[in-house]
Amino acid sequence: MKKLVLVSIVLVMMLALAVPMSSTGAQDKIPIDVWISFQDYRLDWAQNVAAEFNAVYPQYEVNITGGYSYETMFAQVAVAAEQGQLPAVVHYFEAATQDARDSGLFKPIAEALDGRTEINGLPVDLDDYVDPVIAYYTLDGEFTSMPWNTSSAIMFSNMRYLNAAGWDAPPATWNEVDAACEAVMALDDAPEYCWTFPNHGWFFEQWLAQQDALYVNNGNGREDRATEVAFNSEAGVAILQWLSDQYDKGYLYYSGAQGGESWSTVDQAYSTQQVAMAVYSSSDTTLYTEMGEEGGFETIASFMPYNDETGWTGNLIGGATLWLVDGLDPEVEDGALTFLLYFTNTEYAADWHKVTGYIAIRHSSNELLEAEGYFAENPNQTVAADQLDQSTITPATSGALVGGFPSIRNEVTAAIDRVLLTDEDPAAVLDAAAEASNTIIEEYNLLNAP
Amino acid sequence: MIVSPVILLLAGAAIGAAILGFVFQRAGGRALIGLALGAVAGGFGSALFMIPLDYCTFEAERESLDATFGFILVGAGIALVVTPVSWLAGKLLRGEGLVSSTGQPTQGTFKHWWIALPLLLPTLTILAVFLYYPSLETLRLSTMLSRLGARREVFICVDNFTRLAQDQEYWDIVGRTIYISFFIVVLSMGLSLLIATMAYLPIRGASIYRILLVWPYAMSPAVAGIIFLLMFNPSGGMFNYLSGNWFGFKLGWLNDPKVAPWTIIIASVWKSMGFNILFYIAGLQNVPKDLIEAGAIDGAGVVRRFWHIVWPLLSPTTFFLIVTNVTYAFFETYATIDYLTPGGGPLQSTTTMMYRVIQMGVYNNDMGKAAAQSIVLFMMVIGLTLVLFRTGGRQVTYGV
Repeated sequence: MKKLVLVSIVLVMMLALAVPMSSTGAQDKIPIDVWISFQDYRLDWAQNVAAEFNAVYPQYEVNITGGYSYETMFAQVAVAAEQGQLPAVVHYFEAATQDARDSGLFKPIAEALDGRTEINGLPVDLDDYVDPVIAYYTLDGEFTSMPWNTSSAIMFSNMRYLNAAGWDAPPATWNEVDAACEAVMALDDAPEYCWTFPNHGWFFEQWLAQQDALYVNNGNGREDRATEVAFNSEAGVAILQWLSDQYDKGYLYYSGAQGGESWSTVDQAYSTQQVAMAVYSSSDTTLYTEMGEEGGFETIASFMPYNDETGWTGNLIGGATLWLVDGLDPEVEDGALTFLLYFTNTEYAADWHKVTGYIAIRHSSNELLEAEGYFAENPNQTVAADQLDQSTITPATSGALVGGFPSIRNEVTAAIDRVLLTDEDPAAVLDAAAEASNTIIEEYNLLNAP
Repeated sequence: MIVSPVILLLAGAAIGAAILGFVFQRAGGRALIGLALGAVAGGFGSALFMIPLDYCTFEAERESLDATFGFILVGAGIALVVTPVSWLAGKLLRGEGLVSSTGQPTQGTFKHWWIALPLLLPTLTILAVFLYYPSLETLRLSTMLSRLGARREVFICVDNFTRLAQDQEYWDIVGRTIYISFFIVVLSMGLSLLIATMAYLPIRGASIYRILLVWPYAMSPAVAGIIFLLMFNPSGGMFNYLSGNWFGFKLGWLNDPKVAPWTIIIASVWKSMGFNILFYIAGLQNVPKDLIEAGAIDGAGVVRRFWHIVWPLLSPTTFFLIVTNVTYAFFETYATIDYLTPGGGPLQSTTTMMYRVIQMGVYNNDMGKAAAQSIVLFMMVIGLTLVLFRTGGRQVTYGV
């Protein structure tokens, strides 16, 4: 008898493990899951918009989940795809564009719209998005993913130091940065260092594009699939040489942090006034302007300084877009499209710009902000958009498309780290990084090329 | 270098037969059965890793390094099969049960051996799903070029391993891992023993001190990492502010490749000390007072009493802590490293083997290489633990 009890207890326990959780009631609303790579105030903003969307369109239930970072979102989505647990919309950064295309998980926005001019009463006007954004995300002639947060690399200057050093405006070129730094570091109350930037691969890409030099072959991967990197050119070496010189002179502060987590080290250095200038993403223009107001100094945003010898062709965009998952139920897909259009409508695009400093991605939003007098009051906010407007669109300034881009960025940041901290030859270090990157591309293409 | 699978099979069979024949002869069994059993076991062992790999290491176009790897795998396979078989056979031949029968209580045991199976099943299921299957999958992945979400996987034999063996950067990382782990374990345990001994002294409010001392262990690595990041920051951090004001020097805690590993060591030691102190205090409470008193009456000083009475009686605790601390230092310092020196530190100076695995697998999405590296790390920790049990384990005293 005891034995029987024992065996039945064990069996019941096993059954309890095996029975799946039953779902609670039926939902009449159409659920639309959206994964965003943020977890800070930018996620809050997105969730607020989603709440408003849910109120306006009661038939849908948009649910926004925050992720850890751009870099880990990719792994998260790949795993979800294997398990058939994909959301409707995924937020990928620009470096994941090629990987996202090759994954076959997503449907181009243009294809999903299928020529419709309105969805659920929302007008579709793709021409309203600004040119650099359209240029980056139009792949094979098709509008592929929905732009949301788009930025460019610009410079923030602490004018308390620059004015004291006799500079009325921030330096515009590498030589001017050097001259300004000489003056700033000679001040009695000089900061610890003159300038800094996050050691993130994106800045190297920006300085390369300014010189109209390609990052990868085959027209930056836009004419044909990229098979090799091209960044170990004269232009690439010039960047490393310049950074190394700046570091050796004691002008450049390097926090030691590399990659996606390096941003906050620059925030800390700039807000505590340990540096006079910070090359950074325009995504935090609002924050950096406020840092100045709180710290009692004026922050002026300016174009990213460029190499005097090769001149300025233009800068790249950065940031991320929203990708529509392929194979959704038609009603979920329409709901997701409705949300994407609502999420990036004129008013929200303008508000998003004010809250963060990412550029206003629609012409109509820019007109709205202009009419409100917002740009006149906040001159820093127009810098990134102006920089992109004045850029000449070439293969180099359109940005690279290459598989395994995030891993290649790690090779580049490691090369910059090495050049700053050792006496090794920048050309040799960059060549080694290029070799490692070529292996990454070769292996990527072997596994992903159709 | 081409080696025929048949030759490997025969070699394995010969080795297995020799070993088991010897075991059978010594234990008084029939040598012929031993030889036969050994031949089967050895032959099977030689093919254990080679059949999944399809004997790829011995193909014509492979290099000698691949073949060397192949021989190691064949040897490991033979050892993996023949060792347990000969151990079992030896026990059975000598008439011993599989489970040591001495000291087994006869009351309170189950009458039938099979009742254990359903009771073990939930645990075994969880182990199978979350440990055994992922381990096998890791082994498989380590022979592949593989990316999450890719269209295909490509079998590349043991290239992931041979590349590691030839990668100077990886050997540097192995050396650095050992360096960082050694100091974490030694400093954390040494300081913990010192503090535990002091906290165990009969002073007023000792229990409050003890609680406070254990607190760091309860803090999440992420929170601890951010606190340390603020304190260690070379520009505007607390440590440099104080050292600059008081002693006139500043250290590149996070951006100097010589100093950064020590920042990780300090942060990790601080983090793990609470756990060690807790166990040392518990260990000290188990040291019989009368022994210490007897020692004191016989004229032994504080140091002698500690060295000859307390330290040997603490040896089980120390041994346990060495094993857990080694595991901690190898596997659980990722968060500390990532918060303090994201990207693996200046000149990769804080990149440990575990950090590299996560970088490779999660950030670079290079599953094959990450799997190969995690196997290397796993083998290293297993090896180290075995050495510890073989050497340290023998010196542990469990009774008075």
